[in-house]
Amino acid sequence: MHNNKIDAALRGHHSGSRRALLKSLGAAGLVTAASGLALPAHVLAQLSDESTTANQAGGKPKHGGRIRVATTSMSTKDTLDPAKASLSTDYVRIYMFYSGLTQFNRELGADPALAETIETEDQQNWHFTLRSGVTFHNGKSLTPQDVVYSLLRHKDPAVTSRAAPIAAQFQEVVVTGPNTLRITLNAPNADLPVMLASANFCIVADGTTDFTQTANGTGPYQQKEFSAGVRTIGVRNPNFWKPGKPYLDEVELVGIADESSRVNALLSGDIQMALAVNPRSTKRVKRSGTCDVLQTESSLYTNLIMRQDGYPTSNPDFVLAVKYMMNRELIKRALFRGYATIANDHPVAPSHKYFNHELPQRPYDIDRAKFHLKKAGMSGIRVPVFASPAAEGSVDMAALLQLSGIEAGMHFGINRVPSDGYWSNHWMKHPLGFGNINPRVSLDELFSLFYKSDAPWNESGWQNAQFDELLIAARGEGDEIKRKQMYWDMQELIADKCGVSIPVFMNLIDGYDKRVKGFYPIPTGGLMGYSFAEHVWLDA
Amino acid sequence: MMSVFKSMPVSGKLGSALVAFWLFIALFGPWLAPHTASEIVAYDVFEPIGGEYVLGTDYIGRDVFSRILDGTRFTIFIPLLAAALACSAGTLIALYSAVSHPRTDEIIARFMDALISIPSKIFSLVMIAAFGSSVPILLTITAISYMPGSFRIARALAVNVASMDFVTVARTRGESRLYLAVKEILPNILHPMLADFGLRFVFVVLLLSSLSFLGLGVQPPEADLGSLVRENISGLAEGAPAVIVPAIAIATITIAVNLVIDSLRGGATYAAKGK
Amino acid sequence: MKVIFQLILKRIGLSLITLFIVSAVVFFIANLLPGDAAQEMLGQSATPEAVAALRDAYGLNDPPLTRYAKWLGGLVTGDAGTSLANSRPVSELISSRLSQSLLLAGLTAVIAVPFAMVLGIVAAMHSGRRIDKIMNIATLTMVAVPEFLLATIFVLVFAVELNWLPSLSYIPSDAGLYDYFRAFALPVATLCIVLSAQMARMTRAAVLEQLSQPYVEMALLKGSPLSRAVLRHALPNAVGPIVNAVALSLSYLLGGVVIVEVIFNYPGVASLMVDAVTNRDMPLLQACAMLFCTGYLILVLIADLAAILANPKLRTGG
Repeated sequence: MHNNKIDAALRGHHSGSRRALLKSLGAAGLVTAASGLALPAHVLAQLSDESTTANQAGGKPKHGGRIRVATTSMSTKDTLDPAKASLSTDYVRIYMFYSGLTQFNRELGADPALAETIETEDQQNWHFTLRSGVTFHNGKSLTPQDVVYSLLRHKDPAVTSRAAPIAAQFQEVVVTGPNTLRITLNAPNADLPVMLASANFCIVADGTTDFTQTANGTGPYQQKEFSAGVRTIGVRNPNFWKPGKPYLDEVELVGIADESSRVNALLSGDIQMALAVNPRSTKRVKRSGTCDVLQTESSLYTNLIMRQDGYPTSNPDFVLAVKYMMNRELIKRALFRGYATIANDHPVAPSHKYFNHELPQRPYDIDRAKFHLKKAGMSGIRVPVFASPAAEGSVDMAALLQLSGIEAGMHFGINRVPSDGYWSNHWMKHPLGFGNINPRVSLDELFSLFYKSDAPWNESGWQNAQFDELLIAARGEGDEIKRKQMYWDMQELIADKCGVSIPVFMNLIDGYDKRVKGFYPIPTGGLMGYSFAEHVWLDA
Repeated sequence: MMSVFKSMPVSGKLGSALVAFWLFIALFGPWLAPHTASEIVAYDVFEPIGGEYVLGTDYIGRDVFSRILDGTRFTIFIPLLAAALACSAGTLIALYSAVSHPRTDEIIARFMDALISIPSKIFSLVMIAAFGSSVPILLTITAISYMPGSFRIARALAVNVASMDFVTVARTRGESRLYLAVKEILPNILHPMLADFGLRFVFVVLLLSSLSFLGLGVQPPEADLGSLVRENISGLAEGAPAVIVPAIAIATITIAVNLVIDSLRGGATYAAKGK
Repeated sequence: MKVIFQLILKRIGLSLITLFIVSAVVFFIANLLPGDAAQEMLGQSATPEAVAALRDAYGLNDPPLTRYAKWLGGLVTGDAGTSLANSRPVSELISSRLSQSLLLAGLTAVIAVPFAMVLGIVAAMHSGRRIDKIMNIATLTMVAVPEFLLATIFVLVFAVELNWLPSLSYIPSDAGLYDYFRAFALPVATLCIVLSAQMARMTRAAVLEQLSQPYVEMALLKGSPLSRAVLRHALPNAVGPIVNAVALSLSYLLGGVVIVEVIFNYPGVASLMVDAVTNRDMPLLQACAMLFCTGYLILVLIADLAAILANPKLRTGG
């Protein structure tokens, strides 16, 4: 389901998911005890005590066993290079073999990983102390030089890093001692720890340039077999830096593109975990008795893009008319069987701490749509809309929009184009088309990437000076209440003026064999934010 | 025409009736449908037969009956046209090739081999990636994909016939190549080519459904019967009519077409043999 | 014998010419694809500068003819180039998959071809009778079911419900004969059904065609039994169309099995080529296409030779 987004790994701020987590874990409370790490409080929001959570998720962890896990895709593009990771299968593989300086936790903060402490005074100069005694799979010890190399290689165009736009913020990464280093950013950014938790920023050994055959990381599993487009097998790394972890002897990773095959494989016992189960298949999985689904609330969304430089989408009344034509309830119900959260035409999910809950929910209102169409002088107009399976749910959304359009007195002609090549050939290239945006770690990152006037993926070509000013101001705003107000205003601007319509946020659904324990949602992605391999065990 | 029908065996009559039925659906189905094909009528998905909706509902709650009525035309007309194009073009080129100078024959055969050697699914995949998926493109791609196959079959038959005594006699008689092709060879390969047409019709139906499996076939909200099977495949485990009925529809269409062709052929061939 | 040997040589020469035409066609078609590997590689992060730089690195900025010449030159010298998607030699990528594809194709052919022949001949011998009619409907039904539906039904019945066979065609590294059987049972069954129905029908048609010829009727009138007439007279003359049908069907096993590969997660060449299209990995795409075409041409060559050998008139150089 997750397409070739550059930044799909850099997702995830979704802080209010605590409530959601409690719900999905049943009665199990989530105790997030502070660990003994020396961390400035402002850096790491919450730290979860590993053993506590593990116990609550299904008894005492056991060692041993092997599982096979299926994600949604695999191809010759499968990679062992963290910088090139772009799809769910890659993220899982990277998190199996590598570790980052930090890692995402279930509360959407970042826990320190290879970094033992992270300190900053000004959010621009960051000081890292590395965990000692960490070794790469080939026996080499982890040094600050490895980190410097790993981070700076993203800036080399020849590496074709998926995280290059993020790495552009690194002004300087230097070794400051035998076990310490400093990252200096172009400008302050409080979100650096979460950014570094993405798969792309995992740490490789200094000087590694050939990633075609071997992965030499510090992660929980060592590579036993890697065959692009076929399978990846990892065996337990006995020297993993988290004592006792991981639990499984062996994890095999495959990609099964066809959803019904994936679910069948789960039900027949050929795989033990499956990423991205369709809402319609959940009934079948649950009925099996041996398997269950895990729901992860996310801020993943598929949105309608109305280019501000195209006809007729440059007309603000047309844009508003279309927004009123979005039958959000029906989309949630019919397309996602309820596994979705209604959205309000802006990218901030209701569970987010900066979610503007005073902004009235835009209703499905054909009369208002008619009014705005008339005002734009576009009643009866025919407009082509481009949809693709690449943007999940967009084809069916387009079909629903077409129906609303007929009621409102206009016609949407649906052009369904193949997933293949969608992002390079169609996305943002038509006046009316669909996009699909993965959850983001911080609103600043989300807005900077997709909504700022000069954003690299300003999907609708939206230019709004007021929005840009607010965004810059919010970065440097120390006062939480003022900052929150700024984000509220920005949401309102997007909802009212921007040429995107976001009907719903989609929940992620994973299927798993009930013998797999220790499995809980980490909202940065399916399969525990792709990092299940480190956490789960088999209760066979 | 009526007499042909009367002389048919029972299977042929059954086939003709089915073909007539599906042609009727293909022509008038969209007008007969109680709902529009894309309208979501129910919250419940994969409803069984006999509820509020005759054939239940599909994977997002649309009326299966209406969708089948609407989708049949794609499954009938695209393959019909494509198979007709492929077979007639293939046969004509084969005839031309069979009576031409061996060198011309060879060149045509090489070129056809080059074309046919590209697997049809892969060819379709590349062409659709290049030109997008629309009904005319699908028609063109499927016709091109199956034409060289028809050619090969027709040529193998034609070369066989052309080496027979009666053709050699006609040739030495000084008959024109057109005469040889049309009067001597064509009638003798027509029946196997009709069988080939029947199979090719089926192939196109199946290629279309394969393409829909890969997301490249008839594009939503339109859907041919193969797409209906594909999009509802997750309902198979619960025996949803949304997947079973279109599959049965495809089967009856293809079987009916072949029964008709078989019985037409039987009328000519077996009758002569007195079987 | 010498004549036949020369014929074979000639056919091989002609196949090489065809292969050359194929290379041009393949290169042309592959270049119709919009976008390129540089864009696919960078995905959403493709800035014009980055794309331009990567294109340069991949040699995509050369004029098409230069690229074609380079590629063809490489092929002739046995170098299929380097995959743009993962920088491994194309030959290496293909060879690991090809053995898998050939295994699947071989197993299917070994079962499907004799099965289809027998089915077709029996149907032809009993043409018009009940057994023929039943077989007719059966083969038509077999042809008419979309293969993804057939495969899914098999998986649901034999893997999910009965739990007899795995739903994925996966061969563990320490696989024994039994593992192979289990892994291949469902995909081979699916392919056999799809292919043998088609071959059986063509066989039946070709044999029937010969049975209606005067010389067979003569033989029958002279009192030779039907089975003898079929085996001694009709079959040799029907070999041409039959082997053609078989060749066509078997060529399907290389490139046409995408869907079976996808459903059973079987790492064959067809899905490799689909990847190549998606990634705009031209060296891989072109190499796969050439591979399929070569495979097909070899099959056709065999079919042609069989037809020549079977038809006495063609054998003496017609």
